Amino acid sequence: MFGVLDTSTSALVAQRVRLETIAANLANANSIYDAQGNYSPYRRRVPVFAPGDPTTGNASGVHVARILIDDSPLRPVYEPGHPHADANGYVYYPNIDPTMEQINALEASRAYEANIVAAEATKSMIQASLRLLA
Amino acid sequence: MPALERLVQFTTARHRLLTHNIANLSTPYFKPVDLDPKSFQAAMREAIDKRRKRPAPLSGPLEIRSTRQLRFEPNGLQVKPSPRNENILFHDQNNRDLERLMQDLAENTMAHNAGIQMLASEFDMLKLAIRERI
Repeated sequence: MFGVLDTSTSALVAQRVRLETIAANLANANSIYDAQGNYSPYRRRVPVFAPGDPTTGNASGVHVARILIDDSPLRPVYEPGHPHADANGYVYYPNIDPTMEQINALEASRAYEANIVAAEATKSMIQASLRLLA
Repeated sequence: MPALERLVQFTTARHRLLTHNIANLSTPYFKPVDLDPKSFQAAMREAIDKRRKRPAPLSGPLEIRSTRQLRFEPNGLQVKPSPRNENILFHDQNNRDLERLMQDLAENTMAHNAGIQMLASEFDMLKLAIRERI
């Protein structure tokens, strides 16, 4: 029964990683330079989940299998005077849509809450079972 | 008492699956699985009826037949869960149904805790009989 809590914890960790990725996407919605200061617009990161928990070796649970980089087209903004504008006067900004990120954040936080409820249910079941012994 | 023991075994196994389903709410291609409480209840009803028809209905083991999903063995319960298949397939190829999952989780937790409470009162009665004192 104690192993069941690992299942919910693995999901909490995975959803937290998802929320962190979304936060990074939102924070970098206008970042056009990389860490070295070169012109390289930030690309959206997408976490992908897979069943199973490699941390505990359990088949039940979930983990972040990969964090993919979204190759969809960058967002062109017409800024002719910009030092990084192309021949047509467009500067390319990250392919991040804040609305979509917010919706994903909502979904992640709801999934996080659902797993908290599942962990609470597990705790109450463990407590009830332990009360038989004491 | 053996019937309550089987109930607790079943609800524990089902809880394990439900938390796994909730953990994988956002996992692409994940198909939720479950154990059918109705088939468990039908098998229990048969076993209890059969036991009641014996000359000494209060003693001896409770012989519960195996179902498609459940096999009660001396060392525990072996399960073979089936897909839930009750909701539309989302774009990520996951047919989750969060509301129904949470409902099943709540029902299963309550059934488990009720079983534990009844077991506890049976143990109390045993203790009382051993002590021969109220």
